[in-house]
Amino acid sequence: MLIEFKDISFQYRDTDTCVFKDITCQISGPGFHSLFGPSGVGKTTLAKMLARSVNGFSGEIMVQQIDNILYSYNLERIPGWACVGEHLTEITRASGEENRRDELIKSFGLRGCLDSRFSRLSMGQQNRVNLARYLLQEFDLLIMDESLANVDEITKEKIILKIKAMFPGKCFLYISHNLAEVAKFCKQILVLRDSAKTPQMISIDGQNHMKGKPLDKKFLERSMLEIVHAS
Amino acid sequence: MLHRRILQFLLIYVLGLTSLLFIKYVLKLSDYVIPGPQGLSHTVSCVFVKYFFDVMNTLSVAVIGHIISVCLATIVGIIGRLNSWAGSFVKVAAYNIQAYPIVAVAPIIFILMGDGISSRLLIAAVICYFPLLLSFIGILSEPVRDIEHFYEVTGRMSWRLQVKIRVFENMNKLATVIVGSATLAMVGTIVAEFIAADSGIGYSIRIALYQSDLSKVLVALFLIGICTSLWLTCLERIGYLIQNHFRKG
Amino acid sequence: MCKHIQKLCFIAAVTATVIVTGACDKKTGDSGKEVTYRLKWLFNASVAGDIYADVNGFFAEQGLDVTIKPGGPERDAIKELELGRSQFGTASADQVIRAVSKGASVVVIAQLFQTNSLQWIYRPDKTRVDTPEDLRGKTIGITYGGNDEAIMRAVLAKYNIMENEVQLFSVHYDYTPFYEGKVDIWPVYRNTQGIFISEKLSEAAERTAFFDPDMAGVRFVANSVITTEQMIKEDPQTVRKFVTALLRGWQKSLDPKNEEKAVAAIHQFDKDTSIETVRKQLSVTKRFIKPSPETEIGKIDADAWKQTENIMLEQNLIPGPVNVEKILKPFYNL
Repeated sequence: MLIEFKDISFQYRDTDTCVFKDITCQISGPGFHSLFGPSGVGKTTLAKMLARSVNGFSGEIMVQQIDNILYSYNLERIPGWACVGEHLTEITRASGEENRRDELIKSFGLRGCLDSRFSRLSMGQQNRVNLARYLLQEFDLLIMDESLANVDEITKEKIILKIKAMFPGKCFLYISHNLAEVAKFCKQILVLRDSAKTPQMISIDGQNHMKGKPLDKKFLERSMLEIVHAS
Repeated sequence: MLHRRILQFLLIYVLGLTSLLFIKYVLKLSDYVIPGPQGLSHTVSCVFVKYFFDVMNTLSVAVIGHIISVCLATIVGIIGRLNSWAGSFVKVAAYNIQAYPIVAVAPIIFILMGDGISSRLLIAAVICYFPLLLSFIGILSEPVRDIEHFYEVTGRMSWRLQVKIRVFENMNKLATVIVGSATLAMVGTIVAEFIAADSGIGYSIRIALYQSDLSKVLVALFLIGICTSLWLTCLERIGYLIQNHFRKG
Repeated sequence: MCKHIQKLCFIAAVTATVIVTGACDKKTGDSGKEVTYRLKWLFNASVAGDIYADVNGFFAEQGLDVTIKPGGPERDAIKELELGRSQFGTASADQVIRAVSKGASVVVIAQLFQTNSLQWIYRPDKTRVDTPEDLRGKTIGITYGGNDEAIMRAVLAKYNIMENEVQLFSVHYDYTPFYEGKVDIWPVYRNTQGIFISEKLSEAAERTAFFDPDMAGVRFVANSVITTEQMIKEDPQTVRKFVTALLRGWQKSLDPKNEEKAVAAIHQFDKDTSIETVRKQLSVTKRFIKPSPETEIGKIDADAWKQTENIMLEQNLIPGPVNVEKILKPFYNL
């Protein structure tokens, strides 16, 4: 699995502001990778370019052994006419993913939400439901744009570790503003910086913490420092 | 909801009537210009039942015309939401044609279709159709990205699902537009009857005007107001029940 | 405080400007007594004399500054008189009788149309209506609520024709059902619409004829000049001057020597009708205003008014007798 950004430059139509300038970087192998950076720097735009929903950029994005790319984000909603359980049943009906669905419901702590309308859930619950439904789809790369925002730290850790355990062969691009979180759970952190800085993107190794694997605190601290310096 | 609406109407009606009587007595006008209470009560006893059935006749045409225009606006709105040339064409055509005064076209409709129910129905439908259409096109063309995104990227999106999402998410707006256009349907039917039909309350008003009988017009206005209020309340209730049915969690 | 005064000054200046502008907007220059005359219908050959008097300054000669306003379906001269917006007007007899029955203090000072120009057009090659009895079995157009309904019902009653022996057809503004032959006879104003329809059918090589209720003995008075009781009491001089100028306008406009001038004057106000058609309309109008050389223009036919009242009483169009003769105040008695 390989994702390669080659000399990506981009500016929005009708503006002179350059969002990206000659970005070049690589993500390889399955697992959790992160796109990190301050607000407004272009993380979502770059993720959408990867998901092929933003075009008009120069340079090249090459992917190998990745056919299905899904982009999910934290403001998504499910239709109001169905409750959460009905919706999850509906979207897994044809795929035969019932077992996986039940496992995700259990480990994401969604059992109590199944009979509720989406709008009645808390923002954290909504984000968990949304992520769960994406995980029940066919994908090679899942972009999680703030997909676990408003979820408490303990539940978040439980969810990320569960995803890693359930989908060892899949690639994830995790977009978050939480420094400790990306340094701890991701194996590679792409720090996206302002277009005035060169290079605009810096790659830093993360801890890639897994269930049952001890945490290397020194390495984690060093990663965090490197990320802070880079951004 | 019902009693409030009827109370509002009655208040406005009584205020209007009182103002007319006030003007009549201050300016010492004859019953020919503004009828007195005695003349009014006599007219009520003479025409109330007939006018009630006339209003029912008009209301039934307005309801059918309204239903037709809602269906039509939905169909055209579904086509208009497309990004293809057909969608663009429908949108541009709708925005341009809606500026055309239907009342000016009404005489042509009567010449072509005669003065029967079909002309009244068509005019009622057309008068409330354009405001409906513009709202429907607007609502059905506007993506609900936060919901549609999942279906788009997972390849599950169909036109039916897209319409369902957009309608559901804009249920309040649609209900308001439908209730608003219901009044227009009633107005359209009355105007059509006034111009050329041979039944309905608009036709009766025209005869009353020929006879310079304002008291008949006032009775007609009272019945139109009450019946329209009842109908609008019914529509609001239906809209509320539909929304409630989907939203109960 | 200073700002407050400035604000008041500004408001006063704006108010003064509005008042002055409004005053200047009114017709200036004519020093005569201002009078408004509301017609029953739009400007056409039916008001030839009114237009002629205005255009040729007959009102001004009498010291009056008359504004003639066209009528229409929603205009009612009687209501305008009561509200003080007009001092004179034209109304049909049924309007006047209805108004009097409801307490309006309207009086008739001149009867312009000696016979009603409302007649029924038909195609003699297809439909024969030589006598009123021929109406049996015909499809007859009437405007429900209009005076043509009252006239036709009076004709049918007079000749003992039951409603089930004819078919009444509700007419509107467009003549398609008549052109298509769905209706045998169609109500028209003989001197205006009658000319148009005849011309159209003549282009299609079809002949036309008219059924005249007056010939059948049903006399239902048409346009007459009206004013208020108060006006006659308080300002009889102005009433006299107005009627004098108006009737002079009618006399001159119907004089063959002045035909071209009259046609031009009408056309000036009714540009949508061709000069040729106006000429024909004026010629037919003359028959209703001055049916014979001896007829005095504006003469009030009291018997015809009484008959009109009786027709309306019989058809329950008024609740009780109004003694119409009381409101007939012929100009020559003023």
